[in-house]
Amino acid sequence: MKVRVDPERCQGHTLCAMRAPDTFELSEIDGHSSVVAEEVPADQEADVREAVLSCPERAISLIS
Amino acid sequence: MTTEEAAVDDDGGRKHHLVHFDRHTPDYRDRFEDITHELHGQCPIAWTEAHGGHWVASGNREVFELARSAEFLSNDHDVKGERRGYKGISIPPPPRAREAQGGFLEMDPPDQRHYRQTLNPYLSPAAIQRWVPFVDEVVRASIDEKIESGYIDFVDDLANIVPAVLTLAMMGIPLEHWTIYNEPAHASVYTPPNSPDIQRVLDLSRKMGMDLMAQLAEIRKNPRPGLVDALVRADINGRNPDDGELLGVCALLIGGGFDTTTALTAHSLEWLSQHPEERTRLSRERKTLLDSATEEFLRFYTPAPGDGRTITADCEIAGTQFKEGERLWLSWAMANRDPSVFPDPDRIDMERKGNRHSSFGLGIHRCIGSNVARTVFKRMVTAVLDRMPDYECDPEGAVHYETIGVIQGMRHLPATFTPGKRLGAGLDETLAELQKLCDEQRLAEPVTVRKSTARIDT
Ligand code: HEM
Ligand code: SF4
Repeated sequence: MKVRVDPERCQGHTLCAMRAPDTFELSEIDGHSSVVAEEVPADQEADVREAVLSCPERAISLIS
Repeated sequence: MTTEEAAVDDDGGRKHHLVHFDRHTPDYRDRFEDITHELHGQCPIAWTEAHGGHWVASGNREVFELARSAEFLSNDHDVKGERRGYKGISIPPPPRAREAQGGFLEMDPPDQRHYRQTLNPYLSPAAIQRWVPFVDEVVRASIDEKIESGYIDFVDDLANIVPAVLTLAMMGIPLEHWTIYNEPAHASVYTPPNSPDIQRVLDLSRKMGMDLMAQLAEIRKNPRPGLVDALVRADINGRNPDDGELLGVCALLIGGGFDTTTALTAHSLEWLSQHPEERTRLSRERKTLLDSATEEFLRFYTPAPGDGRTITADCEIAGTQFKEGERLWLSWAMANRDPSVFPDPDRIDMERKGNRHSSFGLGIHRCIGSNVARTVFKRMVTAVLDRMPDYECDPEGAVHYETIGVIQGMRHLPATFTPGKRLGAGLDETLAELQKLCDEQRLAEPVTVRKSTARIDT
């Protein structure tokens, strides 16, 4: 499973990093999210799915 | 509210659902859940004749799509009539004599975006994390003032103080001035224009404005780190804004942050008092539960229940046709209760998953202070759970705002608890001490300049 954050949509709500701190990294300067690595390790898949559902801007997408 | 039978035709032949809907009545507060579900069921985008006529979006999908259609929406408040005369984010707009632009919340891009870029390095999660020891000291001192007596008003004695002191610290304004800002920031929200108290509140607001003007002038002359310094040096789309414009921006930072954070904290503490088993659980399992519980309190209580927009061009969004110049109300509060997104929406579930709430707004104006709000809220609540775990709120003394058209807030929340020991100095002494630290460690620098956390040795 792969994960992406659309930088045009992300507004820095930070909910993704609360749900899946090992996958999403927040910019120090504006709090916008980016992925640590596109490929999601199997043990993080559940958290990442949760993050997708939590993003208020629907900025996170999964590619399987 | 009643929904009229069928859709009606207007002059242009557009169909829309006509409803009687006025958020500024006590009825809306009392019957919020019924009204919300009635709107969701029948007309997630409806038209009401109230306040000069405006659209009301309540469905989650509709609010999401509308809020993110920046190309067709304006937040502009054109007070001087230099552009299209749009009326900003309040419906109805404030009386002519008191009209002022609400900082960049009432601006459109590119200026709005430039302001956000200027302030982000002071307000990002990493930037706020540095303030945690400072916040804890203010919380400690506020609680110490009351801990031996066994009595506290959570609004006056805690939830009003901490957001106010932290906001001023971040702005670079002397901490002891917090009392100048505190009262008008809350009272101007809950005092209706026809109240006998309104003159006093307007006078206090004027004093706050004068202090802000003095701070702007002082910081221009003798730079001191903080949000105000960033603003006076800001390049906003090639111009350096004057003090009049910056006054509106500073008032937005204060107005945006004080009353909302207080409202969230007070409602949550009240609910936890009514549900003691849940309170014990939250305290015990805070490591895993506090984040999701915070988002759930935000969803359920939605301290800022909605905001207005003006349509900038004829368009169709979420199945409804809009005309240029029409006003629109985006109800964050009602979107937060949509059963198609939140199962069992009228229940608080501290573990709720996939909590895609809109309490900080959606899209380009999404709250820039959310990290401040969450941090301050969590530090206040955990300190209460630790130091007064058996507190009981007095339902007779709790005072909610009479209407929830602007902020769903509380004026008082008295509580009793088993008295405990003081841990340190009182509030005034602590603020004097913290002021020194702010100056010595230059705590209000942006995260791009200072990465380290505040150091407090007590
Ligand atoms: C629980 C507390 C808070 C809630 C519920 C809240 C809610 C909101 C909402 C709903 C918006 C979007 C308004 C719109 O789209 O029309 C917003 C914007 C804003 N908030 Fe907050 N807020 C909170 C705390 C804060 C704090 C602590 C600050 C200041 C440090 C702050 C500063 C702002 C500013 C400056 C904006 C305008 C952003 C823009 O227009 O780009 N807020 N807030
Ligand atoms: S939750 Fe969504 S909007 Fe927020 S930081 Fe993550 S990706 Fe960005």
